[in-house]
Amino acid sequence: MRLSPLGPWFQRFPRVPPEAGAVLRFDDLSLRPRFGCKGPGAEVWLANAGYRVPPEPNSAAIDADGVLVARLATSEFLVEALDAVPARVEPAQRQLTSAACPSSVYPVAREDLVIEIEGAATNTLLRQTCSFDFAPLLERCESARGQIVFTSMIGVGVVAFLRRAAQGPVLTLWVDPSFAHYFWTTLLEVGGDLGRINIVRTLIDKPR
Amino acid sequence: MSRLPHVKGERIDRDTPVQFTFEGRRQQGYRGDTVSSALLAGGARILGRSFKYHRPRGLLSAAGHDVNALMQVRREGGSVPNVRADVVQVEADWDINAVNTRGGLAHDRLSILNRLAPFLPVGFYYKAFHGKRWFPRWERMFRTLTGLGEVDLRATRRTTPKRYDFCDVLVIGAGPSGLAAALAAADQGASVLLVDENPSAGGSGLYARGGSARLADQTRELITKVASHARIRLLTSTYAAGYYADHWVSLVAPEYLVKVRARSVIVAQGAYEQPAVFRGNDLPGVMLASAAQRMLYHYAVATAHRVVVLTSNAEGYAAALDALAHGVQVAAVLDLRPEPGRDSTIRAAELVSTGILIHYGARPIEAVAGADGGVARLLFESASGAAPGRHTVDVDGVWMSVGFAPANALLHQAGARMSYERSTEQFVPQMLPPGIYACGKVNGVYSLAERVADGRNAGACAAGGIGFGAEKARRATVPARECPTHPYPVFRHPLGKEFVDFDEDLQLRDLENACQEGFDSSELLKRFSTVGMGPSQGKHSNMNALRILASVRGEPIERLGPTTARPMFHPVPLSHLAGRGFTPERRTPLDSEHESLGAVWMPASNWRRPEYYAIAGKSRESAIADEVRAVRTRVGLIDVGTLGKIEVHGPHAAQFLERLYTTRFANLKVGMTRYGLMLDEAGVIVDDGVVGRLGEQTFYFTTTTGNSGTLFREFGRLATWWDLPVGLVNLTGHYAAFNLAGPAARAVLHENTDLDLSDEAFPYLGVRQAQVAGAPCRIMRVGFVGELGYEVHVPFQHAAAVWRALLASGSRFQIQPFGVEAQRMLRLEKGHITVGQDTDGITNALEVGMPWAIKMDKPFFVGQRSLQVLEKQSRRQALVGFNIPSSVHEPRPKECHLVLDGSEIAGRVTSVGWSPTLGRCIGLALVAPQVASRKRLRIRIDRGAEVDAEVIQPPFYDPHGERQRVRGLL
Repeated sequence: MRLSPLGPWFQRFPRVPPEAGAVLRFDDLSLRPRFGCKGPGAEVWLANAGYRVPPEPNSAAIDADGVLVARLATSEFLVEALDAVPARVEPAQRQLTSAACPSSVYPVAREDLVIEIEGAATNTLLRQTCSFDFAPLLERCESARGQIVFTSMIGVGVVAFLRRAAQGPVLTLWVDPSFAHYFWTTLLEVGGDLGRINIVRTLIDKPR
Repeated sequence: MSRLPHVKGERIDRDTPVQFTFEGRRQQGYRGDTVSSALLAGGARILGRSFKYHRPRGLLSAAGHDVNALMQVRREGGSVPNVRADVVQVEADWDINAVNTRGGLAHDRLSILNRLAPFLPVGFYYKAFHGKRWFPRWERMFRTLTGLGEVDLRATRRTTPKRYDFCDVLVIGAGPSGLAAALAAADQGASVLLVDENPSAGGSGLYARGGSARLADQTRELITKVASHARIRLLTSTYAAGYYADHWVSLVAPEYLVKVRARSVIVAQGAYEQPAVFRGNDLPGVMLASAAQRMLYHYAVATAHRVVVLTSNAEGYAAALDALAHGVQVAAVLDLRPEPGRDSTIRAAELVSTGILIHYGARPIEAVAGADGGVARLLFESASGAAPGRHTVDVDGVWMSVGFAPANALLHQAGARMSYERSTEQFVPQMLPPGIYACGKVNGVYSLAERVADGRNAGACAAGGIGFGAEKARRATVPARECPTHPYPVFRHPLGKEFVDFDEDLQLRDLENACQEGFDSSELLKRFSTVGMGPSQGKHSNMNALRILASVRGEPIERLGPTTARPMFHPVPLSHLAGRGFTPERRTPLDSEHESLGAVWMPASNWRRPEYYAIAGKSRESAIADEVRAVRTRVGLIDVGTLGKIEVHGPHAAQFLERLYTTRFANLKVGMTRYGLMLDEAGVIVDDGVVGRLGEQTFYFTTTTGNSGTLFREFGRLATWWDLPVGLVNLTGHYAAFNLAGPAARAVLHENTDLDLSDEAFPYLGVRQAQVAGAPCRIMRVGFVGELGYEVHVPFQHAAAVWRALLASGSRFQIQPFGVEAQRMLRLEKGHITVGQDTDGITNALEVGMPWAIKMDKPFFVGQRSLQVLEKQSRRQALVGFNIPSSVHEPRPKECHLVLDGSEIAGRVTSVGWSPTLGRCIGLALVAPQVASRKRLRIRIDRGAEVDAEVIQPPFYDPHGERQRVRGLL
């Protein structure tokens, strides 16, 4: 059984009824298929595996299947199936930890807490929790590519990515899972002060 | 004191009366009234008592700096101390009392201190505490007598949020120059944040009118443009309290703190009007002219019926005209100068035409109190004008307009250099740092037209400097038509009570005496006399103090230089600073498992860990002892997921680790682990852990809990420094880890994995990658606690499942989860050190008795060169083991208790405890070498008692390490 870093929290609060007119929506997506890799051969290896690799560090691209490839540094990458079927990610993930993986590519464990936040109060929430100005990114974010932001929110290092979905801008945060309880409960507390919030769990714990 | 008919632009809502209580009496104001304006409108003159002498005090500035009008406000939700009456709007049903009184404002018993002033000289506090004998008495007395409001500990806790904000240009101050600056910058395309401490923009443009509507109307035009400009955001009732590097500015809004980052900052904060220093200048009714004007135009309150205007600038004449315009009788205008300036002359003619007497070369002698404690008459003399000579005039108000001090604290904090300008008698910016601009009165510019022009230029420069429009040159300051500030508005009286600092009740002679005692620089004078150290931070006292210091030293003021106000330069509510608490806490994925097992938590760095697992009916000590016994006799399981977990990849990985650790890793076989000790350049132990070789070019190693983040950053730095292209991956948060230890460890693990656990296939110190309970794991066969043991490292999301599986399999052996305290005892029994506990910030690797871990024959490792030097020197200290045969209940040493050598301190206990395995007290101590070589130690324990300990060589338990290699229970 894989358990989201927020699994224990959702066990305590399993049914959070949706609020009409919510200003924020929080979704735990930690169980999305995902892997990380780095090393001098990582870029070529990803491209050969059929991924759309963004050319610039600190940027991300989403292909037509809904696979996100984030370039976190010159030679470090995060690959995650946003809307894609796991099959688009899992084979490469398996190869990464097998003997077939080139010696110039190193696996990076990505057991992150992954949260998506959307809603009218997103920028207000960010203004109370983060010293980075997301407003320009919120205005000009696109659906298939964007800037990756490394910053600190409420004292915790995060990787942030903004993309435009049908309902508006969606902020994805990748966070060290050991901070999950603190990060989640604090964001809910701050968000709760801003108005009604909806807490969603699109992906639930599942047997492997 | 009375409420006037409607005044254009007043801030009060006359349709909404507000009832409140002040000092037990019902009062009424209007919505929009400050506490002070409502009280003055109701006829009050005394608003509070002074800090030291408990003298009656009234309105002074009406600008947020009236430290003698602080109030204790009881309202719904609790009691709030030190509410600033001069700027805080009164609300219905508030119960208000002046702070710092005994027996109420009218009959303050501590006003007796006013008569004791001769016995309370400058520097009294320092002198009082000079001798030991009286120290406690003085301390008790000061604690009883001093302090302002009272904190209500039952009040509802406020989790005031902090916010961040961003803009291209931040304009601080929305007076005429700030408004013009904001418009100019926004017109060039910049996003502008304009802030002002007042409830509405306009600054002095709305209240220093000189009896005419023209200035206010021009200011309102600017406000209207600002309000409708799409690129300008205006924040009112918000003050900038501090400037920090990279154009970060802290803004204090009524309910929260804003940290704003701007690309350019314009300081347009204006100037603080300064009081004249003369006997009785603190009496209620004696106030700054600007305070009286604020009351007239913002709150429609006349602060007096008949006033004298004491002035030395055109602004004073304007105040006299404002008084006349609202029916306040002007008994006389006293101009300190021998003749008026250019702008004053025009206004003087207007006043003379209405029959007002103007005295030139005037000198106030004394303000005298009436029966109610407020000013009743003023004695003065004049050299020319209406009637030269000595005069007494009956008044209930004295308005002082003798000069200004620029509000330039933020510029100082930003690193601006100031110079003293004689034409305006004030400090003005001489050099501004990049991205910082100033305009208006801060620049010594006082007329409305000049302020607007100065603001426009600053706005254009600030926007142009960051790429909005063309870059423009800063405008040269236009010389003032009339000096706005008197160079020395200080008038001695033989009986004293000429107050310089109203916060601290400092008189002229206090500062002169401080100088005579040798505290004759601006910084020393400030600290010894406490001038400028009260809540208003010298806004009305620093310049006069500097002038007095210059006078005493006989030097020009420009040679002394001002003091710099640190952030926050204006008082900030503690609730704003505290805000909502953000204290990141890390939890392992097993946190809820521990919770259900009855864990008692303890902090470990920023993690929380189980100290032990509570058992109903058992004490803490007993529960911990049970956990220790379980590991020694059956099997235990501990969560060690807080350890740092790092991978290093690449062809240079082994070389990198060779340099990092004292131990050798180049020859470490794939599938094996080795202990690693890490030093800093001085040879001091900074960390230790286990390094496992997973492949020829892949190592996986652990660090201590508190060091993982710092070390990971350092590894990156060192890899770059050494030009070793290794791949570093920090897995600390992404992997869980637990240690399965005890004779039955192998049997429990065996049930959950297909891995061959035989000694031949998986020997002691081996490392393997295998599935455990269906999850991909790394398993290290290590023995930190001295038993057959396996450290299982598992990806975060699988951790809980593996933990539960091991507990389930271990149930037949009565497996026992154990916490940090049991682990500490288990490793102590083995004599294993804990870095940071058995070592400190100066303990080098030669002092802890682990020569086997230091390979001095390697070509290089961090700290090696220092150890080569230290090897040739005698040791400073040594880590020794000791035991004390005793029962569990006898008093015994605690960590940090001192080791004695005769009457000298010779070391300290670093680890100690009662071993349930050995049945005696054992410990480690860092001691001087001469003590280490003896057979016995003397340790001073609680209450001065001493115990004798026997020095022995660790390990205390299983000295040959046989139990780590046993076959174990099956």
